[in-house]
Amino acid sequence: MPMMTGDQYRASLVDGRRCYIDGELVDDPASHPLLASAVTSVAATYDRFYDPDPQAFHPMYLVPRSSEDMQRRVEAMGHSDITAGTTAACMALVEVAPALGKLRPEYRDRIYEFVEACKAADLRCSEAITDAKGHRRRRPSQQDDPDFYVRIVDRQRDGIVISGSKMHITGAPLVHEQVVLPTKSMKPGEEDYAVACSVPTNAEGLTIVNTTNAPRGDDTRHFPISHRTNMPEGLLIFDNVFVPNERVFLDGETSHAASLAHALGLWERTNAVAYSGSSADRLVGLAALLAEMSGASDRADIRDLLSEMAIFATMCRAGWEAAMKNATVNEDGTLSPASIYISASKYYNAELHGKMIDILHDIAGALLVTAPTVADWENEEIGADIREQLGGQGGYSAEERLKLLHYVRDLTADTYGGWIAVTESLAGGGQYAQRLVTLRHYDLNEAKRLAKRAVGIGGELAEAPQAAGVVV
Amino acid sequence: MISGDQYRISLRDGRAVWLDGERVHDVTTHPLLRKSVDWVASSYDDHVGSEHPMYRVPRSRDELREQMDVLLSSDRTAATTAGCMALATAADQLAAANAAYGARLERFATECRNRDLRVAAAIDDTAKPVRIVDRRADGIVIAGGKQHVVGAPVVHELLVVPSGRSEDDDAAVACAVPVDSPGARLIASTTAPRAEDDRHHPISRGHSISEAIVVFDDVFVPSDRVFLAGESAQAGALADTLNVWERARAVADQADRAELIMGLAQTISEMNGILDVTHVRDKLAAIAVWAKMCRAGWEAALANAKVTSGGMVAPDDSYLYATKSYGGQLYSEMTHRLHDVAGGLVITCPTIADLDNPATGDYLRKYLRTMEGVSGEDRMRIFHIIRDLTADTYGGWDKVTNQVVGGGMHFQQMATLDSFDMAPARDRARAAAGIIS
Repeated sequence: MPMMTGDQYRASLVDGRRCYIDGELVDDPASHPLLASAVTSVAATYDRFYDPDPQAFHPMYLVPRSSEDMQRRVEAMGHSDITAGTTAACMALVEVAPALGKLRPEYRDRIYEFVEACKAADLRCSEAITDAKGHRRRRPSQQDDPDFYVRIVDRQRDGIVISGSKMHITGAPLVHEQVVLPTKSMKPGEEDYAVACSVPTNAEGLTIVNTTNAPRGDDTRHFPISHRTNMPEGLLIFDNVFVPNERVFLDGETSHAASLAHALGLWERTNAVAYSGSSADRLVGLAALLAEMSGASDRADIRDLLSEMAIFATMCRAGWEAAMKNATVNEDGTLSPASIYISASKYYNAELHGKMIDILHDIAGALLVTAPTVADWENEEIGADIREQLGGQGGYSAEERLKLLHYVRDLTADTYGGWIAVTESLAGGGQYAQRLVTLRHYDLNEAKRLAKRAVGIGGELAEAPQAAGVVV
Repeated sequence: MISGDQYRISLRDGRAVWLDGERVHDVTTHPLLRKSVDWVASSYDDHVGSEHPMYRVPRSRDELREQMDVLLSSDRTAATTAGCMALATAADQLAAANAAYGARLERFATECRNRDLRVAAAIDDTAKPVRIVDRRADGIVIAGGKQHVVGAPVVHELLVVPSGRSEDDDAAVACAVPVDSPGARLIASTTAPRAEDDRHHPISRGHSISEAIVVFDDVFVPSDRVFLAGESAQAGALADTLNVWERARAVADQADRAELIMGLAQTISEMNGILDVTHVRDKLAAIAVWAKMCRAGWEAALANAKVTSGGMVAPDDSYLYATKSYGGQLYSEMTHRLHDVAGGLVITCPTIADLDNPATGDYLRKYLRTMEGVSGEDRMRIFHIIRDLTADTYGGWDKVTNQVVGGGMHFQQMATLDSFDMAPARDRARAAAGIIS
């Protein structure tokens, strides 16, 4: 099967899916004002990677076996929309396929068949993981509503029936398959909640209620990023949805419920960390340009702030380099970046991200959130005023300054910026999860052994102070 | 004293306002600017029939507390209008430059009070600073631009003062300019939500104040409205005095805001059922410390209130700067904690319209609730307010303007250093070290 073009992709979305936004049913996402630009961005990725060769596929389906593969993948993903990233749900399935195959051989076969089919048909998938969760401290079976976690409500000869809800599903209304994975580990007695499967977006009984970070209004040109790069988030409701057996990848094996989400978590975190260096560099560049354009580059306090950002950017890059340098390869040859560096870097990045944005805002000043729009600029009566009032120093024009201010506002101080801030800290697990993973992978025993040797306790002989890291 | 409706009528004066590239002929009916107008109109209605208390200059600690209550419960233009009154109490300083200046300023303040007018402070210069371009027998002509003029499109008067000391005598100009003056053009912006149904923007739908870049294109100002014209020695102090209530309001509001964030973090943790989780308690504790310190700083500013030479009682500046600086430094970290305990629904929670739609409403009621006593609708409202306040258009504007007001974090720290009472600190150090002077 050949790859899809952008137009074929657009057409593929008109399939009877039940998607709502702002209280209204959307018949065709491509023609809805709040969804159209996101559809366009996905369609553009389709066109960019289109190859008529029937064997061709998008690199997101490439399982990395070397650091060159990984680099190629990261590069391709950098030129793709977000739904290429969420299709990593397939990667997670492939990663755990051997383990699931040991439970029931057909799970492994079904996963490979499903992923091959998605790859061949050039489909996009979501990562449908987070459940409604109800009371966070209660087990799924102890909730006062049994549907707070997606569960199997009926087992039939040819398939299962599921009910429940999955939340914050990025790109849900614009993909073809909703890959449903358990959100956490399950215990004996919770077999109905240990379910992994894939559901076509237009399945009977599936309703998707959406929000979006797309800008509103007729003229959105002063949102230079989000008027093109935006994505809806879906809240999925499965109301007695039938899933045929060949799409069921886990059905009741509580011991393996968490392994899928864990596998996906590493992919998500890897995605976040792979680009953290370049996005941090971009932040430094934006700050430096803001300073230049307002003629403040040489101020001592501004140089202090820029140096703080430069250290942040360098450490972000170092984290990814270390994760790749210490990457491991599993028995099937799949390469994974080192978890400890990925988690530590993600934590570090999220912890300081707000601080870096503060610095950027400090350099930008209030004009950041009060700058006129592109339409103001074009207006005959006030356009000249704006050119004069905005100035623009260091060889930059007023128009360039306005563009820069719009970009930084969109990225850090408006709807899209709010979405970025929240998702960057929560995707792939919040800060507490990163701490746990880092500590789990950290060699605490080796660290203790070093300390014992340095002090000379616990049966170790004290070593010379130089070796303990004391600079003499 | 005029009513909200009379206030609306007063804004239909031919003022030259643009928003999103279009000329706004009537700010009271424009779909976005109307929201700011309605907010100001509601504070007119709150005080109809009696003089709005913002026109009173506090002369005692008790009156200061009352003043702050008024400024926090009124719309944003009350603080700048009160700043105009404060400036009038410092009229004697201007009189040092020219005896007429002080008297004119007092007359202008009285006129505002008598006609129940609102005033915006035009302080920050654009790349083309406001200057006197012509001096005539009956007045002056000014040209240039002021940016970040909060409330400009919905007030009556712009009080122009220099942004600081300048070498340029012609830039040392203070005057009052009616918004509808010939040659004044306002390029407005607003955080009012652009969604037709804005019910999922619980704060910004009612509390967005429009601001503007004000262009003065050879605006004539008659002499009786000119309060400084070329005396650069007096230029520096005016902005500080005009901003006194904006500054105080910002710190008082920060304390209220910190408690709101504490309350939201606590409430959403309760609703999520995670109140007893160790790392959640750690985050709540960090917010609690911050909220208490923001409150303490504001209380200290009130407790150490100073009497100005004009007899006005105002919060102590060194505590204001220190508290603003402290609260602002930690603001992003605290909203980060709030998002962490709240979860992704902050940015993905559906709207009220989705709740109203019979096809989706019951699903949302079912899946947004968490336990007995926590309804899906209530939880939705908490997520909406967190998003509107901290992760959307209004939140971005609010965060940035609070942070950069008066020059940004660096300036706030420097102002704290400059206003620190250093002599006792130095004496303490010398005594501790045993240095006998």
